[in-house]
Amino acid sequence: MSHAALDAGRFDLSSQNLTLGAPASLLSRVLVIIGVVLLIVSGMMAWGTDDLAMVSKSYLVSFMWILAISLGGLFFTFVQHLTHAGWSVAVRRPAEVLAANLAWIWIFFLPIVFMWLRGDLDALFIWADMEHLRAHNPEEADVVAKKEAYLNTGFFFTRAVAYFVTWAILGTFFYRMSLKQDSEGGSRITDLLQKVSAPAALLFGLTVTFAAFDWLMSLSPAWFSTIFGVYFFAGTCTAGFSAMILICVYIQRSGRMKGLITSEHYQDLGKLLFAFGMVFWAYIGFSQYMLIWYGNIPEETGWFLSRQVGDWSLLSLALLAGHFIIPFLCLISRWPKRYPLFLMVGAVWMIIFAWLDLYWLVMPVIPEDVYTATSYTEFADAHENASTHLSTPINWSLFLGMACCYFGITLGRLRRHPLLPERDPRLKESLSFENI
Amino acid sequence: MSSIPVGKGIPVDHVVDNTAEHPGERAPLVLNMHEFNDVTTTVCRVAESRRVPMAWYVAFVFSLGLLGFLGFCIAYLFATGVGVWGLNNPVMWAFDITNFVFWVGIGHAGTLISAILFLFRQKWRTGINRFAEAMTIFAVICAGIFPGIHVGRVWVIYWVFPIPNQMEMWPQFRSPLLWDVFAVSTYFTVSLLFWYTGMVPDLATLRDRARGKIRQIGYGLFALGWRGSNRHWHRYERAYLLLAALSTPLVLSVHSVVSFDFAVSQLPGWHTTIFPPYFVAGAIFSGFAMVVTLAVPARELFGLKDLITLRHLDNMNKIILVTGSMVGYAYSIEFFIAWYSGAMYEKFAFLNRAFGQYWWAYFIMVSCNVITPQLFWFKRIRTSIWGMFILSLIVNIGMWFERFVIIVSSLANDFLPTSWDVFIPTWVDIGTMIGSFGLFMTLFLLFCRYLPMIAMAEVKAVMPEADPHHDDHASDAKDEEGGANS
Repeated sequence: MSHAALDAGRFDLSSQNLTLGAPASLLSRVLVIIGVVLLIVSGMMAWGTDDLAMVSKSYLVSFMWILAISLGGLFFTFVQHLTHAGWSVAVRRPAEVLAANLAWIWIFFLPIVFMWLRGDLDALFIWADMEHLRAHNPEEADVVAKKEAYLNTGFFFTRAVAYFVTWAILGTFFYRMSLKQDSEGGSRITDLLQKVSAPAALLFGLTVTFAAFDWLMSLSPAWFSTIFGVYFFAGTCTAGFSAMILICVYIQRSGRMKGLITSEHYQDLGKLLFAFGMVFWAYIGFSQYMLIWYGNIPEETGWFLSRQVGDWSLLSLALLAGHFIIPFLCLISRWPKRYPLFLMVGAVWMIIFAWLDLYWLVMPVIPEDVYTATSYTEFADAHENASTHLSTPINWSLFLGMACCYFGITLGRLRRHPLLPERDPRLKESLSFENI
Repeated sequence: MSSIPVGKGIPVDHVVDNTAEHPGERAPLVLNMHEFNDVTTTVCRVAESRRVPMAWYVAFVFSLGLLGFLGFCIAYLFATGVGVWGLNNPVMWAFDITNFVFWVGIGHAGTLISAILFLFRQKWRTGINRFAEAMTIFAVICAGIFPGIHVGRVWVIYWVFPIPNQMEMWPQFRSPLLWDVFAVSTYFTVSLLFWYTGMVPDLATLRDRARGKIRQIGYGLFALGWRGSNRHWHRYERAYLLLAALSTPLVLSVHSVVSFDFAVSQLPGWHTTIFPPYFVAGAIFSGFAMVVTLAVPARELFGLKDLITLRHLDNMNKIILVTGSMVGYAYSIEFFIAWYSGAMYEKFAFLNRAFGQYWWAYFIMVSCNVITPQLFWFKRIRTSIWGMFILSLIVNIGMWFERFVIIVSSLANDFLPTSWDVFIPTWVDIGTMIGSFGLFMTLFLLFCRYLPMIAMAEVKAVMPEADPHHDDHASDAKDEEGGANS
């Protein structure tokens, strides 16, 4: 390999420094095995459950979480090309690997397809069985009936295929091309990726929005919010950027990429997590909440009311504090972002809160009496015992199982190729960049 | 500091197009300048020469005329009352608020360039930030007029501020209109501070170069004793970074609060959760269009083509394309959710926008904001001076109509068909709107004539000569930009 442009004395670009060793391979396998075991255990717990709604929603939470991580990686990757960024080359490979996971992530969607084939889909998406909904809750059914052209299983799964195909193509393309550049060198591929990144951004925006509408918003099919897609997008930044930081720290803790990922890169990753994963998320969340609260229209408020009664109020407040206020104060300074261990704690914290955020989006059910209660107090009293069921074991076995599988596979892929795009023409700029 | 001898510049033979960038190298942001002094001379020449281009005088006289007409329209309004406008019941807000939102939006490019692009290390911002910031200030001044004059009893306009008084009368703190007062005035203050702080070193340059006593005292007064010492620069850069960080939330907050004016209501077409980010994207969209509209003639007229290069314009056009697409996204999502909501009023409001009595305004809005900007996908258009100039004008028109469509179409046809009405602007409405352009242009032309239109100190910092190792690599053009610390 030729690194003529690089100052060989300063940067260790030997393959020893650029590839993860045997411990990573072992860890990757162990993680996958633990993950599969946990998922099997979850499956056994779920088998014959009398609360399929709870189980399937819990599954959806963890599925959306790994999806969000991957989409966050894809977003990071194409934005770097779109903006011709130089600083990020050294940390781009982890993002590319996260994005490449989009090629197989549809497998984890299959249980939802399976539910449909079994005729159980309405346990998760109540619009899937309109007759049942009508018998159960005629008012809601009247509203949902008007959206049947969009919310019907045929179109729903067709769209899902479209999203997965789009993501798989984009994720694989950016990953494979970057790998190809490792052997080919030169700037042809960089030019190509820069060209592709603009249409990729359009496709990303549309698919993420409608996937969020389909898989999260339509859980409460009568409810609607135009900003919802943007809210989910903010969550993908939280999850994806946190995962990137964790992978970078892991790589360096394993003694690789020494001197290549510096505190400058951590600081910038920290800034991005801070700006998009916390502040932007809070801005979008606030916009959605404030406008619905202020407008106070019953069609809209029910969604928030169901999240501010009983235990849900605690989780809502925890989200406000844990997803925004506390990490905001912890990461606003310069040094925590430049200190990998501290940043790692922040990233673990944020990636868990990204999961909690999805839990908060998915699990609550809008109670029927939200439209009939005469006052807020009456409604709140009636639901003061509403539980989040957060401690239910299956939540955690699914979360951990999915996390272990996901990061195990990610690690396995990361191990197979150099840890940075070693012949990217902007590598030098990235390695020598400093925050002044 | 203006004539520090620097190393040999890259030999350039009058380069015009620097839009191509080979990965691994950075395209030059300053063209055909061999040393720092060239930048100083080019920028200061405008403020120092006794003769300005004839076009400046023509534009200035024309703008002054419009400004006078604005004064006349406002005087007539004050003397007669708000009835001189075409407002009716239910359309009690129309041109005044449309103009307000339009002008506040125009201001956004300045703050985005000076704050967010600074934090994102977009070095090309240095060529355009000064006059985009100036534009921000002037646009906010124009915006401020409209809420001021539409209140009816203008002599008690100070009641919008929470001033303790013996009547124990306070503004309604729960009203977004009051939040607007705070948001816009904070925005104005911080933008002004940012603009001025950034200008201090350049004012000192003008002071040092000034020939006459009056100019020396004038520029000297505002240069605040700047001597360009190391410590001065150090503090200046800290202050600049902090101001950038503090202004960043303002880029989002101001237009978010403006969007709250509408979105907190229950009116279909106004009440929708995507409004805050959608308004912000729209504001940046229109702001950048205005920067292009002004930059294109300004660089021709004052000979600044080597500082505001084609690359700068290309980049701005890309931002117009991105934010225009965001606006298009918001239009589509609004439309989709209006249907998806299943609420008949929502659905009606949007169908009425597109096919009702204001269909033509909606048509202008969509074609100017979503369809024509798609031409910016083509580099040939992004780098064509006439192409971008015309497109930027189209975007300006489209964004004005966007606010008009949102405001008027929702009000004119609300829940109760018996109260529906049509808003038809009077000559005073139109005159005030056009007059506000006179105010804007007058201020802008004065700025061009008397203040450093380009941030000289900042531009010098992105030239290859600013790299301390510049001399070491003078022969190796590849190493010019890459990293500052190779």
